[in-house]
Amino acid sequence: MHEMSIADGVLRAVLDAAGGCGGRRVERVELAVGEMRLVVPEALEMAWQVVSEGTIAAGAELAVVETPMEARCRRCGRQFAPRIDNYLCPGCGLADVDILAGDDIILKSVVCDVEQPSGESKINANASDA
Amino acid sequence: MKINVIKSVLDASDALASVNRGRMDAVGLTCINILSAPGSGKTTLLEKSLPMLPAGVRTAVLVGDLQTTRDAERLEHSAAQVVQINTGNGCHLSPSQIERGLDALDLTAIDYLFIENIGNMVCPAAFDLGEHRRAVLLSVPEGDDKVAKYPTLFQKADVILLTKIDLAELLEYNFDRVYDDLSRINTAAPVLRLSMRTGEGLDAWLDWLIAQRPGK
Repeated sequence: MHEMSIADGVLRAVLDAAGGCGGRRVERVELAVGEMRLVVPEALEMAWQVVSEGTIAAGAELAVVETPMEARCRRCGRQFAPRIDNYLCPGCGLADVDILAGDDIILKSVVCDVEQPSGESKINANASDA
Repeated sequence: MKINVIKSVLDASDALASVNRGRMDAVGLTCINILSAPGSGKTTLLEKSLPMLPAGVRTAVLVGDLQTTRDAERLEHSAAQVVQINTGNGCHLSPSQIERGLDALDLTAIDYLFIENIGNMVCPAAFDLGEHRRAVLLSVPEGDDKVAKYPTLFQKADVILLTKIDLAELLEYNFDRVYDDLSRINTAAPVLRLSMRTGEGLDAWLDWLIAQRPGK
């Protein structure tokens, strides 16, 4: 149940980003989860409900998509898509990789409850430490 | 209104892990995070092997447990400094708990710091604590199918210790199955076979440990 720690991190990032909502309620949160973080979506959903309670993100829908895995072979440099149970490099046949994607959890967007028929307002708050 | 963000949720956790690593680098200590299921022999490994390190090598252990200080008590005679971290219901150690653990230690008097993580094959694998290396234990009684069942734990290992091998014959353990699974998941980490009962493999573990020190 490490989903509780993850939900905590999600809430922090959401509240940070929701500064742009002008204090309005958060309706929807889009999250890209890497398979290597071993997240059980139902457990994350439950943890999210618990941690978000009493904040402007309470009750917000948590939309989770899985990030495809990507790795680079440390031996031959080849880039490929491993599976969670198979990291064999198609180039050299070894399983010794740096994980490029699939070991991360990224907050992609926050949707605020605002009537705005003229399209989306985009604030790119790219993390300085990303 | 949609606000596009693209921010890692783990930044805070990973940043704190980096701070921990920085503190340990500053005093030149080597930190090994030890992960496994409960009962695979993490405490026994430390208890037996730390006193066998060359004279003058200074060790410390941060022991994670849900409850009790039993493991810390067992380790008191094996390591110069031992700090217990009780997580209550937490299923893994977090970088902030390690930060407080570091506060409680005299870092200038440590060559090796071992983190005995919570016994669990899933959650601890997902968190960097600031360690330099990860050692993963798999004991024979757990079965020879566990590498395939918990691939991420083994994929992130720097060394894999097969423990309680004195029980292998009795339990008809198939080592080849373990090696075959590892051949797809992690071919970089050395695999050591150990028995704390007979002492087999302890030398290889100590050699591996010594090779992890900077400048070695």
